[in-house]
Parts: sequence; C-alpha cells; structure tokens
Amino acid sequence: MTVIPAAGTRNRSGLRAASARVPAAALLRRAGAAVVVLWGAVTITFAALHLIPGGIVDAIIGQSRVSPEIRAQIVKDYALDKPLYVQYAEYFGHLLRGDLGHSYNQGVPVATAIGQQAGSTFALLLGGIGFALVAAVVVAVATANRPRWIRGTAATAEIVSVAVPSFWLGILLLTVFSFQLHWFPAIGAGGLSGLVLPAIALGLAPAAMLSQVLRQGLERVLDEPFITTARARGVRSAGVLLRHALRHAVMPVITLTGWLIGAFVSGAVVIESVFSRQGLGQMTVAAIAQRDFPLVSAIVLISALVYVVVNFVVDAVYPLLDPRLRRPEAAAPRERSE
Amino acid sequence: MAPTVDGEARVRASWPVRGIRGSGLNLARWRPGVALSFAFIAVLILAALWPHLFSSTDPNAADIQHTLEAPSAQHWFGTDQNGRDIFARLVTGARLSLLIGLAASVLALVGGSLIGVLAAQGGRLVNTVVNRLLDIFLSIPGLLLVLLLIAVLGPGVRNAIIGLAVITTPGYARVVRGEVIRIRGAVHLEAARALGWSRPQVVVRHLVPNALGPVLVLATIGVGAAIGTGSSLSFLGLGPQAPTAEWGAMLSSSRAYFTVAWWPAIFPGLAITFTVLAITVAGQFLQLRVEGRTRS
Amino acid sequence: MRTFRRSLRSRAWGVALTASVLAGLSACAGADPGDSAASGTTTPVSGGTLTFAVNTDGSCLDPHQSPADVDGLFARPIVDSLVSLSADGSLHPWLATEWSVSADQLTYSFTLRGDVTFSDGEKLDGAAVKANLDHIVNPATKSQLAAGTIATYNGTTVVDATHIQVHFKAPNSAFLPTLASAYLGIEAPQTLTKAPADLCTHIVGSGPFVSADGYSKGKGIEYARNDAYNWAPQTAQHSGAAYLSRLSIRIVPEDASRYGALTSGQLDAIASVPPVNVAQLKKTPGFQVQSAAAPGGNYNYYPNTVKGVFADVNVRKAFREGIDWQTIVDKLYFGQFQPAKGPISPATVGYDKSIEAAYAYNAEDAGKLLDAAGWTGRDSAGYRTKDGKRLTVVHPFLKAYAREQRDTLADQIQAAAKLIGIEVVDTNPDIGTFFANLGTGAYDLIDFSWQRSSPDSLRTLFGTENLPKGGFGTNAAGVSDPAIDKDFLDALATTDLVKQGALYGDAQHRVTDAVAVFPVYVFNYLLGSSSKVQGVTFEPQAFPTFYDAWKRP
Repeated sequence: MTVIPAAGTRNRSGLRAASARVPAAALLRRAGAAVVVLWGAVTITFAALHLIPGGIVDAIIGQSRVSPEIRAQIVKDYALDKPLYVQYAEYFGHLLRGDLGHSYNQGVPVATAIGQQAGSTFALLLGGIGFALVAAVVVAVATANRPRWIRGTAATAEIVSVAVPSFWLGILLLTVFSFQLHWFPAIGAGGLSGLVLPAIALGLAPAAMLSQVLRQGLERVLDEPFITTARARGVRSAGVLLRHALRHAVMPVITLTGWLIGAFVSGAVVIESVFSRQGLGQMTVAAIAQRDFPLVSAIVLISALVYVVVNFVVDAVYPLLDPRLRRPEAAAPRERSE
Repeated sequence: MAPTVDGEARVRASWPVRGIRGSGLNLARWRPGVALSFAFIAVLILAALWPHLFSSTDPNAADIQHTLEAPSAQHWFGTDQNGRDIFARLVTGARLSLLIGLAASVLALVGGSLIGVLAAQGGRLVNTVVNRLLDIFLSIPGLLLVLLLIAVLGPGVRNAIIGLAVITTPGYARVVRGEVIRIRGAVHLEAARALGWSRPQVVVRHLVPNALGPVLVLATIGVGAAIGTGSSLSFLGLGPQAPTAEWGAMLSSSRAYFTVAWWPAIFPGLAITFTVLAITVAGQFLQLRVEGRTRS
Repeated sequence: MRTFRRSLRSRAWGVALTASVLAGLSACAGADPGDSAASGTTTPVSGGTLTFAVNTDGSCLDPHQSPADVDGLFARPIVDSLVSLSADGSLHPWLATEWSVSADQLTYSFTLRGDVTFSDGEKLDGAAVKANLDHIVNPATKSQLAAGTIATYNGTTVVDATHIQVHFKAPNSAFLPTLASAYLGIEAPQTLTKAPADLCTHIVGSGPFVSADGYSKGKGIEYARNDAYNWAPQTAQHSGAAYLSRLSIRIVPEDASRYGALTSGQLDAIASVPPVNVAQLKKTPGFQVQSAAAPGGNYNYYPNTVKGVFADVNVRKAFREGIDWQTIVDKLYFGQFQPAKGPISPATVGYDKSIEAAYAYNAEDAGKLLDAAGWTGRDSAGYRTKDGKRLTVVHPFLKAYAREQRDTLADQIQAAAKLIGIEVVDTNPDIGTFFANLGTGAYDLIDFSWQRSSPDSLRTLFGTENLPKGGFGTNAAGVSDPAIDKDFLDALATTDLVKQGALYGDAQHRVTDAVAVFPVYVFNYLLGSSSKVQGVTFEPQAFPTFYDAWKRP
C-alpha cells in the first residue's frame, strides 16, 4: 500500500509531553497517557464491531441454516444476550486479569490464535524493516554529496519507488521471479527464500522515504564545522560519513520510527494477501469481516501497545544520540503550551 | 538549518513527504519533470471531467467474443476478461481516483485544521484531550482503522473516502497545531495584539491564513498518497464495486489472468504509479515555491 | 444448507469446472490421457509426502459441526463412514458390513465390523456409532450441516457390540447416501466428550491417516499414515494402509499463486486450477489435470415465478432462450466449464438427459415471446417497455461472496439481456438485506449452486416445503406444484434407484416446462498435479481422496 503521511507528527504527541526534568512525575503521566490510549483504542474497536448491522451472532453462523436451539446455544456461549454495557464491562474485567478471551470464529483462545500467526508476520516485518534500513543507508551513503546526476538519479528512483503501489509491485515480483524464473517460492513457505520478495515489496517505499531523509541529514551534517574539522585532521571521507555524519543524520530517521511501524503493519496486511502468506494481517482482515470482536480487539490492543512503547523508546533514545538535546534550553522549546 | 533539533524540526522531519524538502535536489527542481507532472495532471483532470475526449467506447460494454485481447489499433490497451476496453476503463477510472484522493484530502484538511486550531488555541485541558484522542486514532495502524470503519459503513466509494479522511486527519491536525503555535509567537501577531485585536480576529485574520499555506501544499501531496491508499482498498475489494471502472479494482480482478495476459494488470498499475508520482512532484514544486516566498 | 453456504460464502472449490467436457460427465474422471503415457511405473509405491493446496480455508475440522466443503475434505482422511457411496449411487460396505431398512422406512439396522480400532486405541462398536449420531444432533455441538441432514433422527438402539438400529420419525431414503459423507463420519467416542471448540482443531477417527497437530486456521493440516488401517471401503482401489506416508494440505486462496506454486514444483497438487490456465497446464510436460463434475444442483439462476416480471412464463422463457448461456460459459471459462442444460448436474444419479433440448439459444423466438407478453415498446436506452414501464429484472447479487468469476459472469448476463431489451439490475446488498429480500420475495432473479450427492437436491430446490417463507428458503423460484411434490415424496419413500430415477425425471420435466430455472454451469472440480502424483480419486461429491494416492519417486 502506498504510504500514508498520516501519522506524521507522532512525537509531537502528548506521549512525550512531560518534561524530562521530573522523571518520576513524568513517568507517571506517561503511563497514564498510555493507559488512556490503550483503553480508547479498544473502546473504538468495541463500538465499531457492535455497530455493524446484522449482529454478531449472524456473522458467526454465517449463511448456513441452523435451528433456533443452536442459535440460542451460540448466543449463550458468547454471552451475546447480555446488554452491551455488561459485555463491555466484562470484557475489560477479563482484560485486566490478562484474559484476552476466546475467538468467536476459531473457537480457540485469542492468545493461541495470535501466537500461531505472529511468527510469520513478525518475520515479514523484520524482513521488510531490515531491507528498508539497509537499502536506505547504502543508497544514502553512496549518493550524499555526490555529483548532481548521481543524486538526481537516486532522487528519481526514490520518488518513483514511493509512488508504486506495493500490491502491484508484489504481483510483478511474484510473476517474474517466482512464476517465470522460479528463483523464489510462489507461496509463503517458511525459510528465508520465501521472505525475499515480500520483504522487498513491503520495504521498498519506506526504504525510499528513509533514504531521502537520511541523505538530507547527511548532507546537512557534512556542512557542519565539526566535520570540516575532522576532515582537516585527515579523516578519510568514507570514515567521516560513517562514523560522524551518520550518527547525526540518523536522528530524523528515529523520529520516523513510530510512523514507519504503522506503515509497515498496514503494508503487511496487503503484502500477506498478495503473497499468500498466513499471518496476523490476513487473520485480521478475516476477523473483521466475521466480527470476531475478541480477536480484532486483541490485535488493536497489541498495535496500540507497540505504538506507545515505540514512542516511549524514541523519546528516551533521542537525547542519548544527540548531546545537544540534553541542554535544557534546547529541549523542545515550543512544547511550553502543553 | 536550525542549529538544534528542536520540536518543530522533529515535526517537520517526521512528516515523510516533507522530508524531501531541502534535500538539495529532487524532481521538483528538475524543470522537465515538473512540466511533465503538471501536464499529466492536466490530462487526468480533462479525463475526469470529459472522458469522451479520450475514448468514445463504453467502459462497461462487455463483449464475450473478444475477451483478453492484446493491445491493438482498435483496443489500445487491449481488453479485459469481460472483453471491455481497458483504455476506456482507465479513462473512466481517472474520475474516481481523483475524486477519492481529493475528497479524502479536503475532508481531512478541514477536519484536521479545525482540530489543530482548537488544540492550539483552546487552552491546556482542550489541548490534552485533543492530543489524547489523536493518539488513540494514531495508535491503530491506518489500514486496520479503515478496515474497521468500512466494516461498519460498508464498502463503496463514499465510505472509502470517509475511511481515508479519518486516518489522515490526525496528521493534519498535528501539523496545523504546530504551525499555529509557531506563528502565534511571530512578531506581527504581537503587533496585532498590541493594537487591541480580539482573539478571534487574530485567529481568523492571521493565524489561519498563515498556517494554512504550508498545510495546503502538504495536502496536495496527500492527494497522491490518498489515491494510492484508495487503490489498495479497492484491491482488497473494499472500494467501489464492480463493474465500476476503478484502477485498484481493475488490477485486483486481472491478477488471475496475469500469466496469460499482462495488459489488464500492467496498465492500471502504471496509471496509479504515474498519478501518484505526478501529484507528488507537483506538490513538492509548490512547496519549494511557497517556502522560497516565505524566506524572501 | 451446505452448498447454499458454499455458493454464497466459502469460496469453496474456486474457479473450477470441467476439463474434459464430454468425457468428464461421470463423477470419477481419470487423469488427462496426455501425460499418463509419460509415467514410468504403474505399480503403486509406498512412502513419500504429498503436498496439496486448496483455495479456501475451513472453519472447523469437526465434520459434525462444520458445513464447509473444505472441512469435509480435511476430515475425510481421518474419519471413516458406515457405508460408502459409488458414483452410480450404489452403496457399499465400509465400517458396516451389512444393513437393512424396515418396511415403514423408519428403522435402519446395521451390522458393524468387529475389527476396527480408532487411532487412540478405542474399539469401534455399537455404542461408538450411537455416541456419534447423538453427538451430531446435540445442540451443544452447534452442527451447521450434519444435524440438518438427519433432522428426523429419533435415537439409536445398541443391540450388541456389532448391531445397532437407527430410528427416524419420517422416511428418509437420502439417509444412507448422507451417511456415506464425511459429515456423518465416525469419530472416536471418548473424544466426543471434549468441548466442540477443541474438536475444531483435533479429531480422532479410524481412517487411513491421523493428524497429531490437527488443523490450524490459515495453515492447513498435516497427516501421517495410520499403519494399522485395514478396513478400506469396497469402493477403494486397494486395501490395507495408505501408500503415502505423509499428506500435507495447505491453504492458498490466491489463484495465481497456487498455480505458480504447482508449476514451480513447490506443491505436488492443487485444487481449482484456474480455468484460464488449464490448457496451459495440460501442455506443460510433467503435469496433469483431473476433473470431476459435482452432482446436485448446478450453478443456476432462478426466476421469481410468483411475482414481478417473471411471473409471466413468456418472459421467463424469453430470458432462457434469448441469452446465449452456453457461449458465455464456454468463453468465460475457456471451455473448461460444462454449460448446464438442466436444474441438476449430469453427474447426479437420476439426471434426465431428455430435457436438454429445451435449453437451446433462440434469440428470435425470445423476441416473439416478449412481443406476445406485451413488452413491445422501446425506450431511449433500447430496453423494452410495456405501458411506459421498462422491462427490468432485479437481481440481488452478493459480490463479496462471488467465486468462480461469478461476478464476471453476472456482467456478461447483464450485457446479453440488454441485447434482447431486458435490463438486469445487479444490486449488491449486504447479507442481511439479501436474506430479507429473499424472504419477502423482493427479487426477480437469484443465483446459487447446490451440490449434493443425491437427486433429492431437486426437492430442496423446488419442493413446496422449501419456499422462502419470510426467511431463508432454497426454493427461490417459488415453485409450488402438487404433482412435483408428489414425485419427491414418493421418491423419499422408496430405496429403489430405478423408481427414484423415474420420479425425479418427471420432476425435471415439470420444472423445465414451468421455466423455473436458468441453468448456467456444472460445478467441476479441477485438480492439477505433477504427473508423479497417481491414484488420486474423487468421492461422489467430487472431493479428492488420498487413500489410494501414491507418488512416483
């Protein structure tokens, strides 16, 4: 899927609003904010799946004709006869005790259902992110401050890569490299060879985006006095790039992490479908169609948790990488309004 | 180039489409590229408004005797599994793609601007509440949120637009809020306040117009992204319903035939790619122009 | 219920139809002759793993619970049945060595084999069979198909370890064929006390394969050979243990990927070869295509004969004759599809070939019929009108559940109807609205398929008791003819196949004369495989079975 510039400014969020100068209070505030986000995400899911016309029991039964007794049994088993606020309260009660519930459609505990699919999706995400990072660093380092035509070519390739729909790219890759050339498996088998094409299809657009940001950062840093000083001291160009500049250029990339995770998770849904890979994405699409509330809710909860944790980590790591941010007067001067 | 990586810079850097800004070289600075992009967008708009200028063939006319025919003088881009003219369907599909991209972006822009101004101007409590709400929406991956919304609202063009708008709104809200806070501190606003202007006057006459410029440019690029995301929704079967000619849906339905006929899958893919590309380049060009003006 | 669900919901066996249009008329068709010559040895070899991919995911492995075709396929290697059905409709011993039916057709007596053990060590006896039938009808099982097929079940008496009597409240001559299906397969009795949800992933039976890890959604299922197996049905090609030491079934919904995985050697066999690729695959050295036409109701369009424009038999007849159904099916499915020429499939026992002539294309006659019906005007769009009203046919069509390119097909039928001046409006309602429309008769045209191994599917489709009265009903055409109902009732009360054939033949003629159906295509299972794969057979309902399968090294 094409990357949506939706989650753009996550780090401007309240999650990092608390001042770093009062660690204990800040941590508490953050934890509170995180709980609110998780609660909100699950509540939206609950509302959405109960708003769907037709009722959950019909979705579970599907289009088969069942007797009234069996219908009643299903309603009873899943406590669908209770008022919505009771179902809502009970769900949160179970959640607080760490019980994610049973999937309506798969008949297994939600944790089991997710556990069965998580490995495959995790591998895909890891492959996609790994490809994106490596490709971005290599392209950015190879093209930063180089002659105009090299940068021009890279910039063109990057912007085209962002524009190509990932599902189309996936189909093209599959057709050429699996169906025609037989270099890679046609269906998502275990093992690394089955991961290559999906990882490329998933990671290409983010790689192009990262490479742009990274090159921009590199070129900015390379103009700074401390690099000139390093060069004057006889440090070789490549060494400069990798040792000094990259560390600074990577800063904007870190702020992108939260957004990237979201883009990768969204992308994985489509890529799993294109490459016939089992995984959380495919399962989620099916679960939403079948109104399998406990399953969808758990997936939303996990996504929100990742969002919260990633934002926390980014904010914690950021000052460590950039000493300048440790100067209190430089730390987010425009956040005063919060 | 700010000497410190302050909050604002982080906002800007983390807005992906903005990252290209200032990289010193991109397609937006390459004049033929910009010209081509604007030309392509002009053609798209013409096709959306007056499709018969380009093709007089009925895009939904099935012809069982001429299915999956390769590109020829009669059918420039060949025919699909229904014997329908792919070129005619692409031309018709332009309207839908532009509609989805524009409508979703306008909705998100309006909604995001209102929320952003509210957050910036509404005091501490409002700001916190809005921030938390935006966080909640941002914490659910975009596509997952759209899938949930479409499950509630049902598939179709209108609901795809609503879904796309909902997931892009928080981004605009954050940027608008940042711009408003930035401009609020600007010298001319201090002057306006000193002159005794009321708060609403300041907001309407100064804050909004100044904050909106950069955001509008951003939205241009957002149109391209929304078209891309919209096509992936159609690909998943959640966009406009058949037999409506929509690029993502055309691509999706052609998959099964790809091993024997490449044209039904290649041309819609190219159409999506070129459209997103042209709009992105045009948006970047506008961005450079706007920023150049602000600086001078 | 099962196949209605199949047509509407599960993308079941996908895009397939018959390969050998003429030769494939029988339910069990062989491998394509083109490649069989290439095979080296013809003596089955024991051992090896066969990897097979289907195009649709299941919902629950327990066949007593699930109505899905694919779940029947997943369960079949694990569970045996009391009897076995062959393609000609005759019944053969399996776990039961002999059986008899009482004169009033209410009691079935079975004699069981005494040497059968389940793979968990339990012995097959009368109590085990009773436990299974009771389990099926127990509301806690939430059976979505099996319980419905024995709705008049009235308990089982265990006479001794090898003798049982199954009682019914009403005659049901379809019981024995149903009993042969995987849905009434016999599971190990102790496992039936488990929660239904547990049975959805693991079942234990007496079949030729066992699955230790069970079924998992999205992944599929892995089996290992049951070496102790020594009670194959008479309909099988061999006896004793299966040849394959392992069998692996995976789920690959995407047609292009499944096909690509077969041709690139990643899989040994696939279900539902895309029709567009069948010719290509047959030409590819080292591959073969097997096909089997499914019995029961074809994929048909049904007119609402009760109200609306199709209440006029002339309009129905014009729609039948004015659309070139056969050419549409031939072109759309690349000749891999057999156009249907009657309400039920030629693979059904009791199919009456003499009705086929009535389903011929004749656009000229269609025009005359519409003129005679008073639809003589024409509006600006070219559609026929009567008293200024356009001739419009409303067709609620569930696009989200369409498989086998039925959406493309609907587009074609729409285009073809336009040529004779009829407007077909394909609405795309949500599932709730769809069934509401069905219940209130707010439709002119409905489409679905109804595969079942018995001609009794005719009763499901055209019997008065199956009218959609305020809700779900399979007699969407709205046929209510006492003569047809009498045919069905008499057929249910006789187990004589010849008598049944005459009765069902009469019903087919009456349905054809009433123009209560627009036949479209015969569902056909297209199985593509490497030519190393031998001995895959089809059970009567056109599922592949793997007991006799083996792999050339």
